[in-house]
Amino acid sequence: MAGVGVVFRKELADHLGSRRYLVLFALILLLSTMSAYQGVLYIRDRPQAGFMAIFWGTQFGFSFTYLMVFFGPIIGLALGFDAVNKERTGGSLSVLLSQPIYRDSVINGKFLAGVTALSILAASTVTIMSSLATTLLGFGPGIEDLLRITLIAGLTILYLAFWLGLGLLFSTVTKKTSTSILMSIATWLLCSVMISIIAALIANVVAPIPMPTGAGINTTRQLFESPEYRELLQRRFTIQTSIQRISPAYLYNEAAQAILGRAGGQFFIGPGGGGSPFRSLDVSQALMMNWPQITALAVGLVVCFAASYILFLRLEIRPGG
Amino acid sequence: MSQPIIQTRDLTKYYGEVKAVDHLNLTVYEGEIFGFLGPNGSGKTTTLLMLMGLTVPTSGTATVAGYDIIKESREIRRVAGLLPEGAGYYEDLTARQNMDYIGQLNDIPKPERERRINELLEAVGLEKWADVKVEKFSRGMKQRLGIAEVLIKRPKIAFFDEPTIGLDPQGVKEIRDIILRLNREESLTIFYSSHLLYEVQQTCRRVGFIREGRLIATDTIENLSKKVSGGKTLEFELTEITPELIREIRAIDGVASVEQEGLRLYVYMERDRSRDVSETITKHGAIILLMRPREYSLEDIFLKYYEGVT
Repeated sequence: MAGVGVVFRKELADHLGSRRYLVLFALILLLSTMSAYQGVLYIRDRPQAGFMAIFWGTQFGFSFTYLMVFFGPIIGLALGFDAVNKERTGGSLSVLLSQPIYRDSVINGKFLAGVTALSILAASTVTIMSSLATTLLGFGPGIEDLLRITLIAGLTILYLAFWLGLGLLFSTVTKKTSTSILMSIATWLLCSVMISIIAALIANVVAPIPMPTGAGINTTRQLFESPEYRELLQRRFTIQTSIQRISPAYLYNEAAQAILGRAGGQFFIGPGGGGSPFRSLDVSQALMMNWPQITALAVGLVVCFAASYILFLRLEIRPGG
Repeated sequence: MSQPIIQTRDLTKYYGEVKAVDHLNLTVYEGEIFGFLGPNGSGKTTTLLMLMGLTVPTSGTATVAGYDIIKESREIRRVAGLLPEGAGYYEDLTARQNMDYIGQLNDIPKPERERRINELLEAVGLEKWADVKVEKFSRGMKQRLGIAEVLIKRPKIAFFDEPTIGLDPQGVKEIRDIILRLNREESLTIFYSSHLLYEVQQTCRRVGFIREGRLIATDTIENLSKKVSGGKTLEFELTEITPELIREIRAIDGVASVEQEGLRLYVYMERDRSRDVSETITKHGAIILLMRPREYSLEDIFLKYYEGVT
């Protein structure tokens, strides 16, 4: 593996010193500390919520998990989308490849450097949030909480690495950075924003909610409390979830909620029709239940990287680009 | 004669259906500056890429410095440097940092690397720019940096692909001087690919002519000129030209062909038959207003090669 270490060090130094990375890092850090502060307020109002609520508890709309669902794709894609094609069009790739290295050292080094940069971002964000919350709350995470924090950091890194891999794939497939950046933005919008709208639309077409025909509170109430209606809601929810699961961001959210101690995926309606849609899970349960989501993310990552690896090795360095 | 350092045997490369290089047989000797001349798109770059092991030939083989271009391409890249056409650098790094990266990729230990970087930056006249970001560099400076990067591995062979393209005359001269000095002082073998005849003529002793992927000729420039012009061409201006006259001139032994252009005649001869030709003309009653041997400029010669008239 001659050269992979050299490429890795150079690429990592590039990332850590790049304006792009620093701006994203600063943004995430700022928003995360704000979300941790919201979490702290949430815990102060509901002491039974537990320390982990700093990652999901919100008062003004955004939590750490939400931030990652929304910004995660951008961070990962931003570090990957021009990794190969920029060097290709800039002419430095042919200089690089005429050195005595194997070709895969280049793509391996680039990918590892990206993953490292993302790990630094995710791990330090989670650490800073936890320490800030500990200071503000006056109590720190317990042993199990520490395990959960480690797991959420790991999951976040896996999730960000997936987007990095996808970005790398885009940069290998396309010749121009303008194309790969457009592909990245389109994917981001689709996976973070559009997918829930699309899912809701489809669910509405497949299983529309009947409007009570007869006026009057009683019929409406009867309808809402009927088992058929519950079944319909459950069906709608299943359809919506299945569609949203196409999006890695949704998979991440489900797994993250479970690791944080909230059951994602299932929609529980208590016996009285009300009740919380979430129940608390212990760590092993959470991992077991969300193993498919985690596996899907990991498989997605492997597929993206393997595809860009193969394409990169087969890339024809042709005259003129 | 020195040892061959590059030898290709029926080297062929297809890009899909397009034939880029076609059964190329070429020998380059140690210590020479070999000019690889041909029009754009004739397969020069593809040949270079194959010789560096950056792209795999469709068929045929070649050795560079004794290494096989397919099986031992990494060894080749250890002893051969390539300055690709349109070579790029890391714009937000300094010249020194760019070179250091290339040095590291060549496994050169740090103290040695630093020594070579200083030495080479001085050799290409960039010592004052060593710690300036490459984005501030002019084209010519970047090209000189490229040469320094090629040399950091102390290569036995350097491949330069259109090294002077897009440079101003001053820049062109600087590059040429560096290349000539490297060859003279370090006896570096240089494979110089270009479509610019004048450039190659200034730098190279021996040239290979490539067109549509085929090697048309390999020789010194003087010999090539002789080959193209072949025998001799005479230009006449006459008062009148009749078809019989042309027929009769053609009939002269040693005359290859005759072309008429208004009142001018171009007579191509395999051997010098000027005397017989002018006698024939006067016998027909025409008066010779002008008679001169036609000379080819170098451009003409190479245009002929470019057009495939050989």
